[in-house]
Amino acid sequence: MRPALTGIPALTTARLVLRAPEAADGDAYAAFLMGARSVHAGGPLERADAWRAFAQFIGHWVLRGFGSYIMTLRATGQAVGLAGAWFPLGRPERELGWVIWSAEHEGKGLAREAALATRAHAYGVLGWETAVSYIHPDNTRSQSLARRLGCRLDRDAVRPTPGTADVWRHPDPVALAAGCPEANA
Amino acid sequence: MTAAVALPVPVLTTARLILRGPEERDFEAVAAFGTSERSRWVGGPFNRFESWGRFLSGFGHWALRGFGYWTLEERATGRVAGRVGIIAHDGWEEPELGWHLFDGFEGQGLALEAAQAARAHAAQAMGLDGVISYIDPANTRSARLAQRLGARVERDGFLLGQPMQVWRHPRLNEARA
Repeated sequence: MRPALTGIPALTTARLVLRAPEAADGDAYAAFLMGARSVHAGGPLERADAWRAFAQFIGHWVLRGFGSYIMTLRATGQAVGLAGAWFPLGRPERELGWVIWSAEHEGKGLAREAALATRAHAYGVLGWETAVSYIHPDNTRSQSLARRLGCRLDRDAVRPTPGTADVWRHPDPVALAAGCPEANA
Repeated sequence: MTAAVALPVPVLTTARLILRGPEERDFEAVAAFGTSERSRWVGGPFNRFESWGRFLSGFGHWALRGFGYWTLEERATGRVAGRVGIIAHDGWEEPELGWHLFDGFEGQGLALEAAQAARAHAAQAMGLDGVISYIDPANTRSARLAQRLGARVERDGFLLGQPMQVWRHPRLNEARA
Protein backbone atom coordinates (compact mmCIF):
# COMPACT_ATOMS: atom_id res chain seq x y z
CA MET A 1 0.00 0.00 0.00
CA ARG A 2 1.53 3.31 -1.05
CA PRO A 3 -1.30 5.80 -1.18
CA ALA A 4 -0.82 9.12 -2.91
CA LEU A 5 -2.81 12.26 -2.48
CA THR A 6 -5.70 11.60 -4.79
CA GLY A 7 -8.46 13.75 -6.19
CA ILE A 8 -6.43 16.96 -6.24
CA PRO A 9 -6.77 18.60 -9.67
CA ALA A 10 -3.60 20.01 -11.18
CA LEU A 11 -3.39 23.65 -12.26
CA THR A 12 -1.99 24.22 -15.72
CA THR A 13 -0.38 27.42 -16.99
CA ALA A 14 1.46 28.27 -20.20
CA ARG A 15 4.66 26.59 -19.10
CA LEU A 16 3.81 24.79 -15.88
CA VAL A 17 1.76 22.02 -14.40
CA LEU A 18 1.15 22.58 -10.70
CA ARG A 19 0.26 19.24 -9.20
CA ALA A 20 -0.14 17.63 -5.80
CA PRO A 21 3.08 16.33 -4.23
CA GLU A 22 4.03 12.69 -4.72
CA ALA A 23 6.41 10.45 -2.84
CA ALA A 24 8.86 10.68 -5.76
CA ASP A 25 9.22 14.44 -5.12
CA GLY A 26 10.80 13.81 -1.74
CA ASP A 27 14.41 13.71 -2.85
CA ALA A 28 14.24 16.96 -4.81
CA TYR A 29 12.30 18.65 -2.03
CA ALA A 30 14.82 17.51 0.58
CA ALA A 31 17.79 18.46 -1.60
CA PHE A 32 16.50 22.02 -1.79
CA LEU A 33 16.04 22.23 1.97
CA MET A 34 19.55 20.89 2.53
CA GLY A 35 21.06 23.56 0.28
CA ALA A 36 21.96 27.21 0.85
CA ARG A 37 19.03 28.50 -1.23
CA SER A 38 16.61 27.37 1.48
CA VAL A 39 17.69 30.12 3.88
CA HIS A 40 14.34 31.93 3.53
CA ALA A 41 12.36 28.70 3.57
CA GLY A 42 13.38 27.36 6.97
CA GLY A 43 16.66 25.77 5.94
CA PRO A 44 19.27 24.61 5.49
CA LEU A 45 18.34 21.39 7.23
CA GLU A 46 19.91 18.02 7.88
CA ARG A 47 18.56 15.25 5.69
CA ALA A 48 16.36 13.71 8.40
CA ASP A 49 14.75 17.07 9.12
CA ALA A 50 14.38 17.84 5.42
CA TRP A 51 12.51 14.56 4.92
CA ARG A 52 10.24 15.37 7.85
CA ALA A 53 9.60 18.75 6.28
CA PHE A 54 8.47 16.97 3.11
CA ALA A 55 6.18 14.79 5.19
CA GLN A 56 4.79 17.99 6.72
CA PHE A 57 4.27 19.43 3.25
CA ILE A 58 2.19 16.38 2.37
CA GLY A 59 0.49 16.39 5.76
CA HIS A 60 -0.66 19.96 5.25
CA TRP A 61 -2.69 18.81 2.23
CA VAL A 62 -4.22 16.02 4.27
CA LEU A 63 -5.14 18.19 7.21
CA ARG A 64 -6.24 21.37 5.43
CA GLY A 65 -7.56 20.02 2.15
CA PHE A 66 -5.45 22.60 0.34
CA GLY A 67 -1.75 23.14 0.15
CA SER A 68 1.25 23.98 -1.90
CA TYR A 69 1.73 22.44 -5.34
CA ILE A 70 4.82 20.97 -6.88
CA MET A 71 5.78 23.19 -9.79
CA THR A 72 6.68 21.10 -12.83
CA LEU A 73 7.70 22.10 -16.34
CA ARG A 74 5.05 21.17 -18.87
CA ALA A 75 7.70 20.43 -21.47
CA THR A 76 9.65 17.87 -19.47
CA GLY A 77 7.74 17.12 -16.27
CA GLN A 78 10.75 18.18 -14.24
CA ALA A 79 9.89 19.42 -10.73
CA VAL A 80 11.49 22.82 -10.25
CA GLY A 81 9.87 24.25 -7.13
CA LEU A 82 6.61 24.74 -5.32
CA ALA A 83 3.84 27.27 -5.10
CA GLY A 84 0.54 27.60 -3.38
CA ALA A 85 -1.38 27.88 -0.17
CA TRP A 86 0.19 27.38 3.22
CA PHE A 87 -1.49 27.69 6.60
CA PRO A 88 0.41 26.01 9.41
CA LEU A 89 0.29 26.75 13.11
CA GLY A 90 1.50 30.25 13.90
CA ARG A 91 0.35 31.81 10.65
CA PRO A 92 -2.25 34.47 11.40
CA GLU A 93 -3.61 34.16 7.85
CA ARG A 94 -3.57 31.84 4.92
CA GLU A 95 -0.53 32.44 2.80
CA LEU A 96 0.44 32.10 -0.83
CA GLY A 97 4.05 31.05 -1.20
CA TRP A 98 6.50 30.16 -3.93
CA VAL A 99 9.96 28.65 -4.14
CA ILE A 100 12.18 27.98 -7.15
CA TRP A 101 14.56 25.23 -6.13
CA SER A 102 17.59 25.99 -8.28
CA ALA A 103 19.16 29.07 -9.86
CA GLU A 104 18.87 27.64 -13.37
CA HIS A 105 15.09 28.05 -13.25
CA GLU A 106 15.13 31.56 -11.82
CA GLY A 107 14.63 34.72 -13.79
CA LYS A 108 12.17 33.22 -16.26
CA GLY A 109 8.95 34.32 -14.64
CA LEU A 110 8.02 30.80 -13.56
CA ALA A 111 7.32 31.77 -9.94
CA ARG A 112 5.11 34.60 -11.13
CA GLU A 113 3.22 32.32 -13.47
CA ALA A 114 2.70 29.84 -10.64
CA ALA A 115 1.73 32.51 -8.11
CA LEU A 116 -0.91 33.95 -10.44
CA ALA A 117 -2.41 30.50 -10.99
CA THR A 118 -2.46 29.58 -7.32
CA ARG A 119 -3.89 32.96 -6.35
CA ALA A 120 -6.64 32.63 -8.92
CA HIS A 121 -7.36 29.16 -7.53
CA ALA A 122 -7.37 30.40 -3.94
CA TYR A 123 -9.84 33.17 -4.79
CA GLY A 124 -11.93 31.38 -7.38
CA VAL A 125 -12.10 27.83 -6.06
CA LEU A 126 -11.11 27.93 -2.38
CA GLY A 127 -13.13 31.08 -1.81
CA TRP A 128 -10.47 33.16 -0.09
CA GLU A 129 -11.34 36.82 0.25
CA THR A 130 -7.79 37.94 0.91
CA ALA A 131 -4.30 36.49 0.81
CA VAL A 132 -0.89 37.37 2.15
CA SER A 133 2.66 36.31 1.45
CA TYR A 134 5.11 36.23 4.35
CA ILE A 135 8.49 37.36 3.05
CA HIS A 136 11.75 37.76 4.92
CA PRO A 137 13.04 41.36 4.88
CA ASP A 138 16.26 40.21 3.17
CA ASN A 139 14.50 38.24 0.45
CA THR A 140 14.54 40.93 -2.21
CA ARG A 141 13.71 38.61 -5.10
CA SER A 142 10.46 37.53 -3.49
CA GLN A 143 9.67 41.12 -2.55
CA SER A 144 9.99 42.22 -6.14
CA LEU A 145 7.77 39.38 -7.31
CA ALA A 146 5.23 40.34 -4.65
CA ARG A 147 5.21 43.90 -6.03
CA ARG A 148 4.72 42.61 -9.56
CA LEU A 149 1.77 40.60 -8.26
CA GLY A 150 0.24 43.81 -6.97
CA CYS A 151 1.02 43.13 -3.29
CA ARG A 152 1.62 45.88 -0.77
CA LEU A 153 3.50 45.75 2.47
CA ASP A 154 0.83 45.53 5.18
CA ARG A 155 2.34 47.05 8.29
CA ASP A 156 -0.84 46.66 10.33
CA ALA A 157 -1.22 42.93 9.80
CA VAL A 158 -0.20 40.47 12.50
CA ARG A 159 3.17 38.92 11.73
CA PRO A 160 3.64 35.18 11.81
CA THR A 161 5.48 33.50 14.66
CA PRO A 162 8.11 32.33 14.92
CA GLY A 163 10.12 34.40 12.49
CA THR A 164 10.70 37.90 11.23
CA ALA A 165 8.75 37.90 7.99
CA ASP A 166 7.00 40.94 6.60
CA VAL A 167 3.36 40.68 5.59
CA TRP A 168 2.69 41.39 1.91
CA ARG A 169 -1.01 41.77 1.13
CA HIS A 170 -2.29 40.62 -2.25
CA PRO A 171 -4.98 42.56 -4.06
CA ASP A 172 -8.30 41.00 -3.09
CA PRO A 173 -10.62 39.36 -5.62
CA VAL A 174 -12.68 42.54 -5.99
CA ALA A 175 -9.61 44.64 -6.77
CA LEU A 176 -8.39 42.08 -9.27
CA ALA A 177 -11.77 41.94 -10.99
CA ALA A 178 -11.88 45.74 -11.13
CA GLY A 179 -8.68 45.72 -13.08
CA CYS A 180 -5.22 45.81 -11.67
CA PRO A 181 -3.33 45.11 -14.84
CA GLU A 182 0.10 44.70 -13.37
CA ALA A 183 -1.30 42.08 -11.03
CA ASN A 184 -3.13 40.08 -13.69
CA ALA A 185 -0.91 40.13 -16.73
CA MET B 1 -12.09 18.76 11.96
CA THR B 2 -11.17 15.47 10.41
CA ALA B 3 -8.58 15.16 7.70
CA ALA B 4 -9.76 16.93 4.55
CA VAL B 5 -7.98 14.49 2.27
CA ALA B 6 -8.88 11.01 3.41
CA LEU B 7 -6.01 8.78 4.44
CA PRO B 8 -6.61 5.05 4.27
CA VAL B 9 -5.87 4.50 7.94
CA PRO B 10 -7.47 1.31 9.23
CA VAL B 11 -9.35 1.59 12.52
CA LEU B 12 -8.41 -1.09 15.04
CA THR B 13 -10.37 -1.82 18.18
CA THR B 14 -9.11 -3.44 21.37
CA ALA B 15 -10.76 -4.07 24.72
CA ARG B 16 -10.25 -0.52 25.93
CA LEU B 17 -8.95 1.43 22.95
CA ILE B 18 -9.73 2.56 19.46
CA LEU B 19 -6.66 2.94 17.25
CA ARG B 20 -7.49 5.50 14.56
CA GLY B 21 -5.73 7.87 12.23
CA PRO B 22 -4.49 11.23 13.49
CA GLU B 23 -7.00 14.07 13.58
CA GLU B 24 -6.50 17.77 14.13
CA ARG B 25 -8.29 17.61 17.48
CA ASP B 26 -5.45 15.42 18.79
CA PHE B 27 -3.00 18.29 18.62
CA GLU B 28 -3.40 19.73 22.12
CA ALA B 29 -2.66 16.36 23.67
CA VAL B 30 0.32 15.93 21.34
CA ALA B 31 1.64 19.39 22.17
CA ALA B 32 1.27 18.70 25.91
CA PHE B 33 3.17 15.45 25.50
CA GLY B 34 5.91 17.35 23.63
CA THR B 35 6.57 19.51 26.68
CA SER B 36 6.30 16.63 29.14
CA GLU B 37 9.25 14.88 30.69
CA ARG B 38 8.58 11.63 28.86
CA SER B 39 9.01 13.19 25.44
CA ARG B 40 12.77 12.93 25.94
CA TRP B 41 12.51 9.31 24.86
CA VAL B 42 11.33 10.42 21.43
CA GLY B 43 13.78 13.28 20.92
CA GLY B 44 11.97 15.95 22.94
CA PRO B 45 11.14 18.19 24.57
CA PHE B 46 9.45 20.03 21.72
CA ASN B 47 7.97 23.49 21.78
CA ARG B 48 4.51 24.02 20.33
CA PHE B 49 5.78 24.79 16.84
CA GLU B 50 8.09 21.82 16.78
CA SER B 51 5.24 19.63 17.95
CA TRP B 52 3.02 21.01 15.21
CA GLY B 53 5.60 20.22 12.57
CA ARG B 54 6.03 16.69 13.83
CA PHE B 55 2.27 16.27 14.13
CA LEU B 56 1.82 17.42 10.54
CA SER B 57 4.55 15.09 9.34
CA GLY B 58 2.61 12.24 10.92
CA PHE B 59 -0.21 12.78 8.41
CA GLY B 60 2.33 12.91 5.63
CA HIS B 61 3.95 9.73 6.89
CA TRP B 62 0.73 7.80 6.39
CA ALA B 63 0.37 9.25 2.91
CA LEU B 64 3.97 8.55 1.95
CA ARG B 65 4.54 5.18 3.58
CA GLY B 66 1.11 3.66 3.87
CA PHE B 67 1.64 3.14 7.58
CA GLY B 68 2.22 5.38 10.58
CA TYR B 69 1.17 6.23 14.09
CA TRP B 70 -2.34 5.56 15.22
CA THR B 71 -3.93 7.81 17.82
CA LEU B 72 -5.11 5.85 20.85
CA GLU B 73 -8.56 6.88 21.90
CA GLU B 74 -9.91 5.53 25.17
CA ARG B 75 -13.21 3.86 24.31
CA ALA B 76 -14.88 4.64 27.62
CA THR B 77 -14.14 8.37 27.61
CA GLY B 78 -13.06 9.36 24.09
CA ARG B 79 -9.91 10.86 25.53
CA VAL B 80 -6.66 10.65 23.58
CA ALA B 81 -4.33 8.37 25.50
CA GLY B 82 -1.22 8.25 23.34
CA ARG B 83 0.13 6.96 20.06
CA VAL B 84 1.29 3.62 18.79
CA GLY B 85 2.29 2.56 15.34
CA ILE B 86 4.90 1.79 12.75
CA ILE B 87 7.18 4.58 11.66
CA ALA B 88 10.06 4.87 9.23
CA HIS B 89 11.08 8.46 8.79
CA ASP B 90 14.24 9.11 6.84
CA GLY B 91 17.17 7.79 8.87
CA TRP B 92 15.34 4.70 10.13
CA GLU B 93 17.04 1.44 9.13
CA GLU B 94 13.73 -0.41 9.14
CA PRO B 95 10.12 0.32 9.99
CA GLU B 96 9.83 0.56 13.75
CA LEU B 97 7.04 -0.31 16.16
CA GLY B 98 6.86 2.68 18.51
CA TRP B 99 4.62 3.73 21.36
CA HIS B 100 4.16 6.56 23.81
CA LEU B 101 1.40 7.32 26.27
CA PHE B 102 0.30 10.76 27.34
CA ASP B 103 0.29 11.89 30.96
CA GLY B 104 -2.19 10.04 33.10
CA PHE B 105 -2.55 6.95 30.93
CA GLU B 106 0.53 4.97 31.88
CA GLY B 107 0.58 1.97 34.20
CA GLN B 108 -2.68 0.46 32.94
CA GLY B 109 -1.36 -1.81 30.22
CA LEU B 110 -2.72 0.41 27.46
CA ALA B 111 0.55 0.55 25.55
CA LEU B 112 0.80 -3.24 25.61
CA GLU B 113 -2.77 -3.60 24.41
CA ALA B 114 -2.28 -1.10 21.61
CA ALA B 115 1.15 -2.35 20.56
CA GLN B 116 -0.14 -5.92 20.25
CA ALA B 117 -2.98 -4.75 18.01
CA ALA B 118 -0.74 -2.51 15.90
CA ARG B 119 1.94 -5.16 15.54
CA ALA B 120 -0.55 -7.83 14.53
CA HIS B 121 -2.19 -5.56 11.97
CA ALA B 122 1.18 -4.51 10.53
CA ALA B 123 2.20 -8.14 10.16
CA GLN B 124 -1.09 -9.36 8.72
CA ALA B 125 -2.13 -6.45 6.52
CA MET B 126 0.91 -4.30 5.83
CA GLY B 127 3.61 -6.85 5.12
CA LEU B 128 5.59 -5.60 8.12
CA ASP B 129 6.37 -8.70 10.15
CA GLY B 130 9.16 -9.11 12.66
CA VAL B 131 9.73 -5.37 12.99
CA ILE B 132 12.16 -3.60 15.30
CA SER B 133 11.79 -1.10 18.11
CA TYR B 134 14.48 1.46 18.87
CA ILE B 135 14.70 1.91 22.63
CA ASP B 136 17.03 4.19 24.54
CA PRO B 137 19.05 1.98 26.91
CA ALA B 138 17.96 4.19 29.82
CA ASN B 139 14.26 3.86 28.98
CA THR B 140 13.55 0.95 31.27
CA ARG B 141 9.76 1.23 31.05
CA SER B 142 9.78 0.79 27.30
CA ALA B 143 12.33 -2.01 27.56
CA ARG B 144 10.03 -3.84 29.96
CA LEU B 145 7.14 -3.42 27.57
CA ALA B 146 9.26 -4.73 24.71
CA GLN B 147 10.03 -7.80 26.82
CA ARG B 148 6.36 -8.35 27.56
CA LEU B 149 5.72 -8.13 23.83
CA GLY B 150 8.20 -10.96 23.30
CA ALA B 151 10.86 -8.78 21.66
CA ARG B 152 14.58 -9.38 22.21
CA VAL B 153 17.58 -7.08 22.04
CA GLU B 154 19.22 -7.82 18.71
CA ARG B 155 22.09 -5.34 18.78
CA ASP B 156 23.25 -1.93 19.85
CA GLY B 157 22.67 0.72 17.23
CA PHE B 158 21.99 4.35 16.54
CA LEU B 159 18.95 6.34 15.52
CA LEU B 160 19.62 9.85 14.22
CA GLY B 161 22.96 9.81 15.99
CA GLN B 162 21.58 8.69 19.35
CA PRO B 163 22.64 5.34 20.79
CA MET B 164 19.73 2.93 20.87
CA GLN B 165 19.13 -0.71 21.53
CA VAL B 166 17.52 -2.40 18.57
CA TRP B 167 14.83 -4.80 19.74
CA ARG B 168 13.46 -7.39 17.34
CA HIS B 169 9.85 -8.44 17.60
CA PRO B 170 8.78 -12.01 16.97
CA ARG B 171 7.25 -12.73 13.61
CA LEU B 172 3.56 -13.51 13.51
CA ASN B 173 4.01 -17.28 13.53
CA GLU B 174 6.54 -17.01 16.36
CA ALA B 175 4.29 -14.75 18.37
CA ARG B 176 1.55 -17.36 18.35
CA ALA B 177 3.84 -19.90 19.97
